[in-house]
Amino acid sequence: MTELIVSATRLSREYRLGTETVHALREVDFTVETGEFVALLGRSGSGKSTLLNLLGGLDQPTRGSIVVAGRELAALNATDLSLYRRTTVGFIFQSFNLVTSLRAWENVALPLVFQGVGRLERKRRAHELLESVGLGKRTNHVPSQMSGGEQQRVAIARALVNSPRMLLCDEPTGNLDTGTSAQIMELLQQAHRQGATLVMVTHDPELARRHASRTMRMADGQFVPDAQPQEAA
Amino acid sequence: MNILWLAIEGLARKKSRNLLTMTGVLIGVFALTMIVALGQGLSHAVTDTVSGSDNLRQIGLTGGYGIELSNNPADVTIEGEMEEDRRERLRRAAVNRRQIRQWSGRRINEIDDKTIAELSKLPHVESIMPVIVERYTFEGAIKSDGSLTGGLDVNRRRYADRVIAGRYFSADDADEIILHEYMLYKLGLLTGKDYDAVLGKTVTLRSIVNAGDDPTANAPPQLRDFMDSLSDEERAAMMKILPKLMQQFGQMAQAARKPVQREMTIVGVLRETVPGDVFNVIEDGNAVQTDVFMPQETARSLFNESAINRELGYPRALVLVDDPENAPAVEQALRDKGFTAFSVASVLQQVETMLTVITVIIAFLTGIALIVSTLGIVNTMITSVLERTREIGIFKAVGATNWQVQAVFLAESALIGLAGGLAGLATAVLAMIPGDAIAGSLISERAAVPYTGSVFVVPLWLALAGPALGMATAILAAILPARRAARIDPVKALRHD
Repeated sequence: MTELIVSATRLSREYRLGTETVHALREVDFTVETGEFVALLGRSGSGKSTLLNLLGGLDQPTRGSIVVAGRELAALNATDLSLYRRTTVGFIFQSFNLVTSLRAWENVALPLVFQGVGRLERKRRAHELLESVGLGKRTNHVPSQMSGGEQQRVAIARALVNSPRMLLCDEPTGNLDTGTSAQIMELLQQAHRQGATLVMVTHDPELARRHASRTMRMADGQFVPDAQPQEAA
Repeated sequence: MNILWLAIEGLARKKSRNLLTMTGVLIGVFALTMIVALGQGLSHAVTDTVSGSDNLRQIGLTGGYGIELSNNPADVTIEGEMEEDRRERLRRAAVNRRQIRQWSGRRINEIDDKTIAELSKLPHVESIMPVIVERYTFEGAIKSDGSLTGGLDVNRRRYADRVIAGRYFSADDADEIILHEYMLYKLGLLTGKDYDAVLGKTVTLRSIVNAGDDPTANAPPQLRDFMDSLSDEERAAMMKILPKLMQQFGQMAQAARKPVQREMTIVGVLRETVPGDVFNVIEDGNAVQTDVFMPQETARSLFNESAINRELGYPRALVLVDDPENAPAVEQALRDKGFTAFSVASVLQQVETMLTVITVIIAFLTGIALIVSTLGIVNTMITSVLERTREIGIFKAVGATNWQVQAVFLAESALIGLAGGLAGLATAVLAMIPGDAIAGSLISERAAVPYTGSVFVVPLWLALAGPALGMATAILAAILPARRAARIDPVKALRHD
């Protein structure tokens, strides 16, 4: 059996909304093997994004344990969580989340800024990655000068710049048309083939079926059997 | 370095807003720098004017009232059994009477040759020289109804370098005079030829004796008022006996005031002071109005020819101390002996203390401008943090620590403060050029001695303190907004529009 990169047990995340307590995750057990491509399916509010945030160390569980790459994330302080995000995971968002005032290469190199990497080295690595996602000629463009697909490719390059062990993708093609989506998925597959573990949140069962090595369906903060494709929103 | 790059990048995005905020700091630092530089400049001006020459070694000495009691109210005690409020009343009365005694009544301790000889024995006293300023008339080669004369210390070759025609005195007791160029100008003598016509000539010096036909001419104003209040008959009667009366007094006064008369030789012409001339505040204070100069000993012997002068003593004397360091001790010793003494050093100290106090007070008031600019920075930073919530989320997602997020905003604010501070310093330095010219002309209009130094002085510490202060206040202003940025929840921030 391959090594587990993610091992979560009885994971719960609750938060308060006014006077009500929202149970975003209810005692979820979840594992990912190194090198897997896991798709998390479910409607909005099903808890899949919450799980992704916990995996990425952007959020911490209310109860339970979540061990990623040997580290118990529930026990890390804010600084250690930042270091974990910096070194272990790369995020790809539905809305790209590029810094609008920075040029493409500067966006790609942003994680390196916080690692203290010098400007020349940052530029070199950013150019390399932009080349690999097919944007070698657009390194000096700002996001507003690029199409959605191009922006998402910049975001992928940024996610890969630290050579993370795991890529966390939140609806990476949600804002893109079909053709562009295929290109983006191809880039993600490429990263997967090169050894990265992928966890992708999507509401598109077809996308999950076509690309993921395993699909998990969530509803109401829990995993449910993946038997009713028509349930997909 | 990388954080700094992010900060600069962040600032560049909202140029006009950040420039405005920076202008606030600029104004604050500008005003502070100007005020402190002015304080420094004035303090330098005062020091420059009096240091260098013998100023700090000199003490002005005038007669005293023989008060050897302490002026310190705390030293006054009221004896006897009484209620406390009465004791306090009496204590206040005692203090008030002491203070009044200083300014009223006849002087007990006069300065004459005897006291000078006595006081010269005090430790650290190098010499004591009476300051003699007398008005005499001149007749002969030049004519004057009354010119101010002064003695010059020939041994120290005082003013020798200011003689522009003729020569300096031949001896400390020579019957020679040197005339001020202004006096000669008023007499219509301007050229070298004019000067040659008077140099070497003799003049007769006489003390001023007032004797007119009106017997009341020299009478005190009260007497004249009294005369005016009389009826015509009374006044006629009065005028009959008054001349007799005045003659009686006149003979007595004449005896005491036997006119001094001496033949003097004009040997030289003295020019007005120019920047760079030595100026001793106490010694040269009167010389700025003096037209006729003579050797110190000559002036002294002329002064002492008058019986009334001998009786009243010298109005003032100049004490020369061996070292400036001993001036305060000698000053105190003279006061302890019941004389009135003031050294330039102690006056200087008072002036400097006052200047410092004023500068600090005004600087604090000016500091309000900086406080206002701080509020501007707080406002700018809070707005900036709100606007960039999503960006902060991105920073955190790609691995920025809370401290790094905070540092970006602190660095932005620090840059605003530093830039504002440097700009404020630069503006102040530029503003000092016309400021100096204006202040310089104001000073030269009023001062006896021209001052050529700068009125604004920016010492290195001030040049560093302005920008540093701007930066420090800016960093302080950004602490809360920056913390707020650091605490932003990345999950919410990434969904923020």
